[in-house]
Amino acid sequence: MIARRLLIASFALGCAVVSSAQPAFVGPAPARTILPTPELQRAAYLARIDEILAWRSSQAKPGELFPEMTMIATKLALHQDAELCSRSVIQLMKTPASGPFWMFPTVNVAFLGRDQLSLEARQAIRKAWSREMQMRGDTENHWAMYYTSLYLMAELYPNEPGSSWYSGKSSADNLAEAKEYLIDWMNLATTVGQGEFNPTHYIGEYAIPMLYLATWAKDPAMRLRGKMTLDWIFADLAENTLNGVLHGANARTDDVSVIERGKALASFFSWVLFGNVPPIISYGGWGLYFATVAKNYELPEVIYRIAVDRPSDYVQRDFKRTRRRWRNSDVLMAPIYKTNYTRRDYAVGSYQGGLADPIQTHVWDVTWDVRDPRGVHNTMFSMHPVSSSYDLQTYFSELPDQMAKEVTKEGKASYDSPDKFLGGSRFEQVFQDLDTVIALYDIPVGTRFPHINGFFSKDLVQLTVDPSGWIFAQGGSCYLAYRPLAAYQLRPVALIKSSMTGERASLGDQQLFSPHLKNGTIVQAAAVSEFKDFAAFQAAIRALPLSFQLVTKPTVTFQTLRGKVVTCTFGAAPIVNGQPFDYTTWKLFEGPYLNAEKGSGRLTITHGALERILDFKTLSITDRVKP
Amino acid sequence: MVIKNITGPLVGLLLCTLGVAAPTPKPAYDFYICANINRNYTIGAEILTMNGVFQRDAAGAWQHLGYNDMGVTAVAFDPRDHRVWYTSALNGLWRTLDGGKSWRMCNGWEMTEARDVAVDPNAPDNVYLALPDGVAVSSDRAQTLERRENGLPDRGKFTQAIKVDRTRAGRVFAGCELGIYLTDDAAAHWRRVLPTKEMVTDIQQSPHDPHVWLAVTQSAGAWRSTDGGVTWVNFPNVPTSRALYNVTFDVTQPLRYAIGSWAHGVLTSEDGGLTWQDRNQGLPAPHRVWRVGVDPTGLLYASVFGETLYVSKDFGRTWRADALPGTVVNNFLILPRRAN
Repeated sequence: MIARRLLIASFALGCAVVSSAQPAFVGPAPARTILPTPELQRAAYLARIDEILAWRSSQAKPGELFPEMTMIATKLALHQDAELCSRSVIQLMKTPASGPFWMFPTVNVAFLGRDQLSLEARQAIRKAWSREMQMRGDTENHWAMYYTSLYLMAELYPNEPGSSWYSGKSSADNLAEAKEYLIDWMNLATTVGQGEFNPTHYIGEYAIPMLYLATWAKDPAMRLRGKMTLDWIFADLAENTLNGVLHGANARTDDVSVIERGKALASFFSWVLFGNVPPIISYGGWGLYFATVAKNYELPEVIYRIAVDRPSDYVQRDFKRTRRRWRNSDVLMAPIYKTNYTRRDYAVGSYQGGLADPIQTHVWDVTWDVRDPRGVHNTMFSMHPVSSSYDLQTYFSELPDQMAKEVTKEGKASYDSPDKFLGGSRFEQVFQDLDTVIALYDIPVGTRFPHINGFFSKDLVQLTVDPSGWIFAQGGSCYLAYRPLAAYQLRPVALIKSSMTGERASLGDQQLFSPHLKNGTIVQAAAVSEFKDFAAFQAAIRALPLSFQLVTKPTVTFQTLRGKVVTCTFGAAPIVNGQPFDYTTWKLFEGPYLNAEKGSGRLTITHGALERILDFKTLSITDRVKP
Repeated sequence: MVIKNITGPLVGLLLCTLGVAAPTPKPAYDFYICANINRNYTIGAEILTMNGVFQRDAAGAWQHLGYNDMGVTAVAFDPRDHRVWYTSALNGLWRTLDGGKSWRMCNGWEMTEARDVAVDPNAPDNVYLALPDGVAVSSDRAQTLERRENGLPDRGKFTQAIKVDRTRAGRVFAGCELGIYLTDDAAAHWRRVLPTKEMVTDIQQSPHDPHVWLAVTQSAGAWRSTDGGVTWVNFPNVPTSRALYNVTFDVTQPLRYAIGSWAHGVLTSEDGGLTWQDRNQGLPAPHRVWRVGVDPTGLLYASVFGETLYVSKDFGRTWRADALPGTVVNNFLILPRRAN
C-alpha cells in the first residue's frame, strides 16, 4: 500500500490551485479550426502556455511566501519575484517529502532557478536531496518520474560523493543507474509495448519528466530520447482522441474520467497541444508543471494533424502490455491487443479483456462526440466490477487481506463498490470489429460482485427498451444498440464524483444491473447520418441475425451492421466470417497514422504526405514530405 | 528473523531447559521491530511520522533508528558488528555501516519491493534478499548483489521469506509462491522441499533445536519440520481457510508457538503444535493481526493492523495495549546484545 499512497500526492497537486478566472476552462469550447501552418500552430501553442502561466502567476498573494511548488515554478518560468521564490524554496525545503511526486517538482524549480534562486535556496534543495530518503514507488509512472529526476539532479550536481545523496551513491552512480533504467524502459515501451497505455491522468507522469529530460539533460542522447518519447506519447494521444477527448481502453483511468470522458488530464494535453478541447479545472494541476517548460517542446505538425484533421474513418490496432505481474500468472507481462475505430461522430475502442492494471483499467466503450464535453457523460460500456485480493496480489507485492480495504483509502474509493464502473476483469472477454463490440462474461460462483454493470448515460436520448431484447438510444450524432444477453434491471445510479473521497452524486445516469454469472453484452454503434431516422436504425439492428447461449461457455454469433459474421466463445479465439481471429500477427502499431513492427523501436507517424520516423535503435528522428 | 544469530547463547538456554547446569550466564538481548506508523500520513506531503526500525530501550520505550521509511519489511544485523545492518524495503536493500547514521541503497533499478533480508551467521558477508521476482544474494556485505535462482521456478518465485540455517553456512530457505525452497550451497542451487499453490508467508527456525522449523502459508496452513527442513508435516488443527501471516517461537519455552493472521488473529500452541488456541480475547475486533512476536522475556506481542501494539504476559490469555498507536509491525527481531 505504501507506494500507492504516492498517488494521493498527485491528486493533491491538482487540488492545490483554484480555478478562479481560468480563461480556457470557463470560456467557450475551442473552435474546431485546423490551423493551416506550423507557424500558426506554434503561435497558438505558445499563447495557451502563456495563458496558463499568467493565470497561475496572478494568484500569488502579495508579500506572502508561495505555499507550493507550482507557483514558484511559474514565477521562475516568467522570471518574476526571484527573491520571494528563494525564500519560499528555503521554507519548503525545511519539510521535504519522499517520492517521485516531490522529486520532479523540485527538479523543475532547481533547473528553472539555476540562475535566479539565491545560493541559500539552491543549497536548501541540494541538502534536501541529501538527507531525505526518496521512495521509488511501484509503478512505471513512478519510476519515470523518479529516475528522470534523479538523472537530472545527478547531472546538475556531478562529482559528488555518496555521502551527499540520500541513496548513498555518488553522482556518477546515481546518473548511471537512472540512465540505465530510462533507456531500458524506453526500449521496452518501443519494442514490446507501452505498459500504462493511454492513461487519462497518468499521461502527465510520463509527459512531464520526458519534457524535463528533453529540456535539461546535458547528454544530447538523453535529450533526444526525451524528445522522441514525448513525440511517441503525444502521437499515441492524438490517435486515440476524438476531438481532443481520450476515448476507448485505458490501462489506467478513474471513476470520473471513465464516465465524463473529457474530464481528464489527457484533455489538458489535447488542449495545450492541439487546442481542440477545453482544459480541465486548474489545468489539472499537473499542467502547470508542464507549462513552465513547455515552450521547449515543438509539437510536430504531423502529430497535430492526426489529432485535428481526420479526412476519413480509421482503424488503428496497437500492441501494449499489462502491468508487471508478481504472482498468479505464467507471464510477467501479458499482451494487450487494442483496437481503436474512429469516425467523425463517435469512436469505439477496446482491448481483449482481462486486467491491464489491477484497479483502474477501462476495457472498452463507445464514446460519442459532443461539441463541448464539459459535464457530458458521452460514453456507453459494460463491465464486471472486480474486488479481489487475488487480483491485487497478482500485481502488488503485499500480504493479501488488507489490500482491497486499503486501496479504497488511497485514491480508488470505488474499488470495493458493487456499482462502480471502473476496472477490468479476468472474467470478461471482448472482441471488437469496427463499431461492434461483443463482451462476454463467465464469472465463477463465489466471486464477489457476481453481476455486470452497464453504463447508461444521462445524456442519452431516445432511450428505448425494445421487445426484441435490444436497448436503443442516441448519444450526440451516434445511434447505439445495446443487447444484454441475460436478464437485467435498469436503475438509477449515483456516480462517484471523486476517486479520492468516494463522494457520489445522482445526475440521472442509470446502471444496467445483470446478476447472472454467464453473461454478455453486444453494442452496435452507427452514425445518425447513415439512417433516415431512429426507427430505421432500430429496424436495421433487429434484422441482424443473432444467436447465443449462456449455459456452458457463453457463446454469441452475430452478424454485425457492417456485414461480418462474428462468433465469440468465452475462452476461445473469436471467429470472423468463418476464420479464427489471430492476434499473434498484430504489430506494435498498425493503422493509417501510426505504424511500428514489434521489436523494432521504430515508429512511423504519418498524416497525408507528412511523415516522421522515431527510431530508438539509431536514435534518430527523420522527417519527410512524401511525394 | 526472530531466531537468527543466537546460536551460542541458546546452547546455554537449551541446557537450562534440559535441567543441566548452564556454564554461561543468561544472555542479554536487544529487541527490534520494523514498523510503519502511518495514521494521518500521506506521502508527498510533509512527513509527520517516523517509520522503519525501532529498538526497545531499557525503559520499554521504542526508539527509532536509522532512516525514515514506510516500506521497511525486515532488518538483519551482521553478527560480528551490530553497527552493520540491512533493511529490506520498497526501494530494495539498504545498508548502514555506522549504526544507522548513513545509508546506501545497495541495489539498482533491477530489484525492488524487497520482502525480507537475512545474513548468514556463519558467513556474515553473505546477505540474502527476498524479492517479488526471486532471490538476490551478496557475498560482500551487499556492496554488490546478484540473482541466484537456479532451481527456482521461472514463475512462482515470489519470495516472501528468506531464512538462513544457523548451523551451516550457505543453507538457506526461501518461502515462495509455489513452496519452500532450500539451498545448501549459498543459493547456487535450489530445490523445493514443500510444494504449495499459494505463497509461503513465513519460515522460522527453532531457537531451541535447530532441526525444528515452522512455516506458515497463505492457503495451506501451518507446517513443521523436525529434520532440518527436509520434510514437512502439516498441523491439522491450524485453519487453512485464510492466510497465516507469520509464526514465531518463544525463546523462553521450546514448546510455545504463536501464529499471526489477519483473519484468525492470534493462534497459540503450548504443546509443540499438538493443540492450538484462539487467543484474541482482549484484542480489538476485528482482530486483524499483522504480525506476532515474542520478546526475550517471553512477552507475546501482537501487531493489530492500524491499531496499536498489544502485549500479553500470559501468552495471549490476556492482552493490554502497548505503545505505538497506528502501527503496523512488519517484523520482530531479538538479537543477542553486543558491546557495539
